[in-house]
Amino acid sequence: MTDEQLMEAVKNGDLQQASLLFDRYHKRLFNFLARLTLDRSTAEDLTQNVFLRLIRYRNSYREGLKFQSWIFQVARNVFSDHYQSQKNKRSGFISVEHLGDHIMDQEESKQLEEKEALLRRSMALLSDEQRELLALTRFEHMKYEDVALLMDTTVANIKVKVHRAIAKLREHYFQLEKI
Amino acid sequence: MNREELETKLIDYIDGKLSGEQTVEVENLIAADTSARELYRQLKEVMQVMDASPELEPDQRMKQRFERLLTEEMHAMKEKRMVFFTPVVWRAAASIALLVAATGIGYWIYRDYSREKELTALRGEVQKTKELMLAMLQNQQSASQRIKAVNTFYQMQMADQDVVQALVKSLNEDPNTNVRMAALDALGRFSQEPEVRKALIAALPRQEDPIVKIALIEWMVKLKEKTVVKELENIVNDNEQMKAVKDAAYSGILKLS
Repeated sequence: MTDEQLMEAVKNGDLQQASLLFDRYHKRLFNFLARLTLDRSTAEDLTQNVFLRLIRYRNSYREGLKFQSWIFQVARNVFSDHYQSQKNKRSGFISVEHLGDHIMDQEESKQLEEKEALLRRSMALLSDEQRELLALTRFEHMKYEDVALLMDTTVANIKVKVHRAIAKLREHYFQLEKI
Repeated sequence: MNREELETKLIDYIDGKLSGEQTVEVENLIAADTSARELYRQLKEVMQVMDASPELEPDQRMKQRFERLLTEEMHAMKEKRMVFFTPVVWRAAASIALLVAATGIGYWIYRDYSREKELTALRGEVQKTKELMLAMLQNQQSASQRIKAVNTFYQMQMADQDVVQALVKSLNEDPNTNVRMAALDALGRFSQEPEVRKALIAALPRQEDPIVKIALIEWMVKLKEKTVVKELENIVNDNEQMKAVKDAAYSGILKLS
């Protein structure tokens, strides 16, 4: 069954089908949210929230809509709500130096190559929008067309923004390398 | 080519998205320009690191947590469906039905009551208007006010004793011809009333205004009032009457005889 057929079934009350959608998407969503939040446990909680919304707001899924676009939109909303609620609570920020500790467990951290660590620290210095654009296009390999749809803008605009984000990432990456 | 254009070209080149011609152009640039070459090297490294970046493995317990959540939601959904079949719900439904019925009856009673209230209010309004118009009819200073009062009675189709008396008085005594004519028109509407008919017959010999007298004769013809033939003969034989009035009377005699 396609993602869309499974979601239609969920919408029609067959909630058990949500389990299959979880299997297909939870890792991608977790990675996407981890790159946005820069925090592993938060990303796990938010991923759970995405699937909770999938079940509770199943009726908001419109027939014919690409499931991937819909679920990533839900994830963006979950992140946005989380970001807003945390904005005033946050006493400081996650230190770029210790980012690896937040985003990866100890085992992964040990195996991490130097360049990968540098990449994650550079990503943390980008704006939220740039980080999201790179998470969607370079890590989730989503097409520009789909991202444009998701962000309600044109493909050309997405391309320009992604290129700027890569250029900015390069700047941060080689500046941090010098330190 | 500015810096941003160069970066865009280089990124597209690394992604393999340029045409053959553009590819050659970028390769020539990289070969010839040291800073462009350095920028290319750095962009390539960053993009390669991104491509090679390993996916994080989510905690295995996430699935268990989700399954637990799913079970709870399915249970909650079942409960929502079941709720309609429990006796408590039936009792609640009966209470609601009773409440709706009571509200309906209450509304029906209230509606009747409020209709009665509306009628009383309307009657009060009519009475007030009548009094006002009667007062206006007494205004000797303004003929237009008196015409307005007469026209209001005409439109209201009111024919109670007070109004008829006031209109007859205007017909016979008002110094203004237009007011008299308006009063005649208004009385004509109620000519089916025996009292009004009597008043119109009695007004014929009294009326001195020739225009109103002619109009009264026409009304008598219209009402087929044969009892006025004698009075019409008097008019015809009265040398002091205007010719037009005499003609009207003569015509009336012919029609009523």
